Amino acid sequence: MIELHNVTKYYKTANEKKYILNNVSIVIPSDVNVGILGRNGAGKSTLLRMLGGIDFPNSGIISSPNSFSWPMGLAGGFQGSMSGRQNVKFVCRIYGKSDYEIEQAIEAVREFAEIGDYFDMPIKTYSSGMKSRLSFGLSLVFDFDYLIIDETLSVGDKNFQEKSKKALRKKIENCNVLLVSHSMPVLKELCDVGIVVHKGQIHYCDDIEDAIATYNKINK
Amino acid sequence: MSTMNKRTSLEIFKSVVLALFLREVQTRFGTKKLGYFWAVFDAMFMVLIFAGLKSAVASNSMPGVDFPVYLATSFLAFYLWKKIVSQSIHAFSANKALFAYKQVKPFDTIVTRVLLEILVSSAATLIFVAIGLYIGLDISVKNFNMVMLAVFWLCIFGFGIGLMNAVFAYFYEFYAKLINIVMTPLLFVSAIMYPIDSLPPFIREILLYNPLVHFMEMIHGYYFHSLNTYYVDYEYMIYWTLIPLWIGLFFYKRSEKRILSS
Repeated sequence: MIELHNVTKYYKTANEKKYILNNVSIVIPSDVNVGILGRNGAGKSTLLRMLGGIDFPNSGIISSPNSFSWPMGLAGGFQGSMSGRQNVKFVCRIYGKSDYEIEQAIEAVREFAEIGDYFDMPIKTYSSGMKSRLSFGLSLVFDFDYLIIDETLSVGDKNFQEKSKKALRKKIENCNVLLVSHSMPVLKELCDVGIVVHKGQIHYCDDIEDAIATYNKINK
Repeated sequence: MSTMNKRTSLEIFKSVVLALFLREVQTRFGTKKLGYFWAVFDAMFMVLIFAGLKSAVASNSMPGVDFPVYLATSFLAFYLWKKIVSQSIHAFSANKALFAYKQVKPFDTIVTRVLLEILVSSAATLIFVAIGLYIGLDISVKNFNMVMLAVFWLCIFGFGIGLMNAVFAYFYEFYAKLINIVMTPLLFVSAIMYPIDSLPPFIREILLYNPLVHFMEMIHGYYFHSLNTYYVDYEYMIYWTLIPLWIGLFFYKRSEKRILSS
């Protein structure tokens, strides 16, 4: 369960405050997979970052008894000068995994990401597809209550997209997902409910189909 | 309820600092193999230059003190402090990508860099001691515990200044440049190559406003049998330790979220 209580978040531009969320209060119930829709710049990623605990509302409270992954997005969250392996080790360490668990995690991520020798090359030499392979593979190692995924499913080649979706379907038997995507088929396939972020408000829909319909109306 | 283990904030802090520490070691010494070399070379080079200069231009003005040992204690301590300050100032921007994980706080990156500099400096000191013993210099210490206290205090002093600088420099680029300008002449006005007692009184009066002079004099005064800590003003050192530390913590606390989300 995720609760937003009178949450306001804005960015200051040159002349005005641009509201991402304007005094929003909603409750997202437990055990549903949430698709997040909105136009570019509407604040989907900011919302995910706030849920992931690395960005903060200007006022109001976001609370949840659950654990969240880091926001998996195109930007990565990887240190460019470190190799894939070193980054995996780093993340395992900050989550307090033992040496044995770290070895297992490295094997699992290496196998899933299928990036070959690049696993031991600095991340800055990676393509964005390779980065999301690594990021997604890494997230599968942990048992979060919510996976926060920002668009990453739509990168990579067909083969990897299929593989990710399969892995994700398996993973969400035991956890839930907060998914930003512009791909309606992916949203329909993976999500139960949807929220549409638009003009500082959040529209919550019990059915992902309704959310998609709302989103399409906005775009007209 | 959460399926992840709940950990206390201290446990998280410890595992984050360990992870950051290992990462810093890897990037500093892993990719550039010369990293280990530079760690010792800086101080060693300075000791050789100034010991050479001194023996060329003057006879021994400090009876009972091996001048190379005097220089070695000075430069090791000075570089320890200087590196703590200069590494802290860029700690936030260098680790920005890792703030994607909510466990990693900007504060942790400073703690990590300070610990790393202490480790590097300790290793350099051991090498200096080995060389000193090998070539037969008098490296005996008058009061080991007080020297260690002075060095430890110097680290806290550096940490406070470093934290304060890091916060200000993150928001004002100009500030980092200013600090660079201030740091450059410190080498010559911090009682590193001479004891403060050897200077004319009016210059001495001015230099004693430099807190580093007091730290250097404290280290030298407790290291060498024939030197003393007459000019060390402990109260002044406490001010210079606590005030920057307080300012640093105060503004860090206020701007932590801005640093994370910017």
